Amino acid sequence: MSMTPRSAPVGLRLLGGVVALLFSGPALYLLWRNFDESADPFGLLGSAPTLEPLGRTLQLAVAVSVSAALLGTFLAWISIRTDVPGARIWRVLLPIPLVFPTFLGAAAFIRTLSPGGLVSDLSAEVGVDLTRDIRGFSGAWLVLTLFTYPYVYLPVAARLRQLPGSLEESARVLGDSPTMTFRRIVMPQIASSVMAGSVLVFLYTISDFGAVQLMRYDTLTRAIHTNHLARPPVALALSLILLVLALVVVVGERIASKRLVAVTTNRAQRPMIYRLGRGRWVSWGVVSAVFSLAVIAPLATLTDWAWDGLRRSSTGGRSLTIDSDKVIESSVNTLQVSVIAAVVAVLAVLPVAFLVGRYRSKVGSWSHVVVVSTFALPGILIALALTYWVRSSSTANDLFAGTMLLLIFGLVVRFGSLALGVTLDAVRAVPGGFHDAAATLGAGKLRRFRTIDLPIMGPGLLAGGGLVLLSVMKELPITLLVAPLGFPTLTTRIFQSFEDAFVAEAGIMAVVLVAMSSLLSWFLVIRRADHL
Amino acid sequence: MALGYLYKTDETPISSIAMSRRFLVVPSLVLVFSLFAVSCSESSDPESLSGVAAQIYAGECAEQSGNEVVIYSGRTENLIEPVLDAFACETGVPVAVRWGASTDLALLVEADGDRTEADVFLSRSPGPVGFLESRDLLGEIDSDVLDLVSPENRSGSNTWVGFSGRKRVLVYNVDQLETGELPASVFELTDEKWRGKVGIPATNGSFVDWFTVFRDVHGDDVATEWLDDMVANDADLYSNNRSIVEAAGRGEIDVGLVNHYYNYQEVAAAGETHRALNHDFADDDIGSLLIITAATVLKSTDAPDEAAQLLRYLLSAPVQQYFTDETFEYPLAAGVEANSTLPPLTALEIGSVDFDALGGGFATTNDIIEASGILDS
Repeated sequence: MSMTPRSAPVGLRLLGGVVALLFSGPALYLLWRNFDESADPFGLLGSAPTLEPLGRTLQLAVAVSVSAALLGTFLAWISIRTDVPGARIWRVLLPIPLVFPTFLGAAAFIRTLSPGGLVSDLSAEVGVDLTRDIRGFSGAWLVLTLFTYPYVYLPVAARLRQLPGSLEESARVLGDSPTMTFRRIVMPQIASSVMAGSVLVFLYTISDFGAVQLMRYDTLTRAIHTNHLARPPVALALSLILLVLALVVVVGERIASKRLVAVTTNRAQRPMIYRLGRGRWVSWGVVSAVFSLAVIAPLATLTDWAWDGLRRSSTGGRSLTIDSDKVIESSVNTLQVSVIAAVVAVLAVLPVAFLVGRYRSKVGSWSHVVVVSTFALPGILIALALTYWVRSSSTANDLFAGTMLLLIFGLVVRFGSLALGVTLDAVRAVPGGFHDAAATLGAGKLRRFRTIDLPIMGPGLLAGGGLVLLSVMKELPITLLVAPLGFPTLTTRIFQSFEDAFVAEAGIMAVVLVAMSSLLSWFLVIRRADHL
Repeated sequence: MALGYLYKTDETPISSIAMSRRFLVVPSLVLVFSLFAVSCSESSDPESLSGVAAQIYAGECAEQSGNEVVIYSGRTENLIEPVLDAFACETGVPVAVRWGASTDLALLVEADGDRTEADVFLSRSPGPVGFLESRDLLGEIDSDVLDLVSPENRSGSNTWVGFSGRKRVLVYNVDQLETGELPASVFELTDEKWRGKVGIPATNGSFVDWFTVFRDVHGDDVATEWLDDMVANDADLYSNNRSIVEAAGRGEIDVGLVNHYYNYQEVAAAGETHRALNHDFADDDIGSLLIITAATVLKSTDAPDEAAQLLRYLLSAPVQQYFTDETFEYPLAAGVEANSTLPPLTALEIGSVDFDALGGGFATTNDIIEASGILDS
C-alpha cells in the first residue's frame, strides 16, 4: 500500500517559506547591490575577461564532479559492500579529507610533491622521480577531487547500507554477473544519492577560492577577488553570474532526479556483501592509495612543519607565536561553534526535507533550490551580505551585530545544503505505511514524529549534522568577518599564521584540527550511525 | 498489509529509539562542556605582560577604563598582538580586534557602513586604504600624529599614516645563481637570460600596489610594455609573496618579485635549509620601492581620542623597535634605526607608495594585468 498523497500542513509550508527566505539573504543582497551599483552582469557576460574564467570554472567543476562521483561511489561500494580488508576502519577514515581547509590542503600538497618536499625526497632515495609541478587545471582538479569526494561518498555509503540484499541476490541467482547486477539493480537505486552528492561537489568547486588560487588556475572566484576593491560593480556582477550558474545546475538536478526510480529501503535485511577473492588486496591497494594522497600526504607535511617548529623552539631557536592556551582556546571555540551550527542546520532543513520528501510541495521545491544553490556562493559573499542586511536596520543592528547568533546563522546558510541532501534521504526512508498504520491506531502527529520518524531518520540526521560539523570546523571567511570580536577558531589562527609564513604554528594547529575532527566524526557520526 | 509490515519490523523503531537517545547524549555533553569551558576562559586583566609584549612595555598594567578601541587588523595576530597587548596594558585603553585579510576587512567596513564597530583599520598594503578612501569612510587624523612620520609616509588628505615598511626585492635561489649574475633593475628581467625563471605575484595586493606606482612613475606605456614583455618571457604567476619565496627556496623558479619581509620569516623558521636570499635592485630602481603598512581611523568612530592614542603608540620608539627587530620591517618614526640585518634603506628617496595618486588607479592596473595574459599562463 502506498502513501496516500496529501497536501502539506499549513504550518509546515509556512516554516519552509521562512527557511527559504532566510537562506535567500545572500542572493537578495547580490541582486540589490547589482542594481544599486549599476552593475551590468548581462554586458559582462559577452566580454572575454568574464567568459574565459567562466569557461574555466565550468570545465573544472564538471571534471571535479565527475571524478568525485566515480571515486566516491567506488569507495562507498568497496567499503560497504565488499570484504575488502579493514572495511570497518575505512568507513571511519574515508570521510576525513573533508576536514582540510582547501587553502591549507593545497599548500601542503604542493609542498609534499614539489622539489624538496617529502615525496620527492623519499622517491629520490629509491631512485624514482615523483616530483610533480602540480598547478593549473590538473592541480586544482586533483586537490578538489581528493577533498570533495566525501560529499558523494557519505550519502552513497548510507544508501548502499540500506539497500535490501534480496533484489541483488535474486539477480545473481537468475544469472546476472556482479557487474550486471551493479548496473541493473544497484546503480538505479543509488543514482539519486550520487547525483545529489555530485551537485554539492560542483557547487563547492565553483565556490572555492583557496585551492584555485594556490594552484594558479584563474576561475570566476579569482576574478571576483581581484575586482572586489578595484571595480566593485564587476565583482558583484560576476558573483551574480556564479549564482545563476548554480541555480541552473540545481534546478537541472531537481528535474533529472524526478525521472529516477523511487528508492526502496529495508533496514531489517542485511545488505549483500560481495566476496572479492583475489581482488581483495587490489581493492585494498587502491583505497590505500587514495587515502594516502588525500590524507597522509598533506598530514605528513603539516606534521613536519609542526615538528620542526616544536624542535626549534625547544632548542633555543625562534620561539613559537602560539602557546597551549591559544591552541586550547581556539579548539574549544571551534568545537562549540561547529556543534551548535550542525544541530541548528539539521533543524533548519528538516521542514524543507519533509515538504519535498513527504508532500512533494511547491514551497518545498523552491526552498530546496534556494538552500542548495546558496552553497555555490563563496563564504566572503555570505559574510558581506549578512553584515550588509543587519547593519542596514538599527533594530537588527542592535540585536544581532557581532553576536554568536549571527555567526551560527551565517554558517547554517553556508552549509545547510550539506545537511539537506542526507536529511531528505532520511525522510524518504520512512515507509509511508508506518504512518498510515499508526494513524489508524490513533497516534497523533507529534507522537508519530517521535516514535516513527525520529528513530528511523536518526542516523541520517546525524550524518547530515556530521557533514556540517566537519565543514564548519574548517570554515574561514564567515568566521573571520562575522564572529563576535575575540573569537578565534583553529582555522582562523591557521590562516593567519600561514599568511605570514609561520608554518610551524599553522602545522601544529592543523594537526590538532585534523585529530579533533577525526575523533568527532568517529564518535558522533560513524560509530553511532549504524548505516555507515 | 500496512499492519503486517508494522508488526514484522516492530523491533526496528524501538531499538532505534534507544539508539537515538544515545545519539543525543554525546552532542549534548559536548555542547555543555564547550559552553562551560568558554565561560571559564574569561581571564581577568593581567597585572603585567610576559613574552615578546614585555619587550615593548615591561611595567605594571594600568586599570582598563574608558572607551574601547575596536581594531580591524589586516596585519596578523602573530605579529601585531604583542603591540596591542602592550598598548592596552600601558594605557589602560581596552582593545578588541577582528583579524583578517586586509582586502576582506575593507569590504567588511564598506558593508558595515556608518554602523561599523571598527574605530581603527590597520592595512597590510595600500590598496584597501585607497578603497575605503574612495568610499569616503575614513576620518581625519590629528596633525600631531601625522607629523610623527615624514611627509612621504602619510596621506596628503590626512586620512592615513604609515607605521612600518616592506621593501620590494628580488628573491633568488642561492644554488642556481651567483650574486654577480643578479640584475640591477626590474627592466633587465625581460631579457632572454631570464626566460621562464621569474615568479610574479600578479594578483597579490602588494604587487598590484607596486605596479600602480610603477605606472605613476614611468607612465602607462612603459609599465604595460614591461609587463607584456615579462609574460612573453614566460614569467610564472604565483598567488602571493610567500609562495614565491617558497618556490625560489626549493628551486622551482630562479628568482621572484616579492616583499623583502617573507624571506626573513622563512630563514628565521628554517635556517640554512631554506635556499633563497633577497637581492636588492639599484636604489633608484622602481624595483626597490618601499610599500608601507598603514593605520587609519574610521569616520564613524566613537572613540576618536583613544584611536589617536593608539596610532601615536604604533609610532612610538619601543613599537617601532619591535617592528624592525621582531618582524624585520623598516621603522618609519621616532628616529629608530632599521635592524642591522636589513639592507640600508636609501630607496625611500624615490618615494613610497602615494595612496592618493593610487586612488582611482587600481581599475586601470587590473586592466593592464588582465590584458597581459599572465593570468592564463
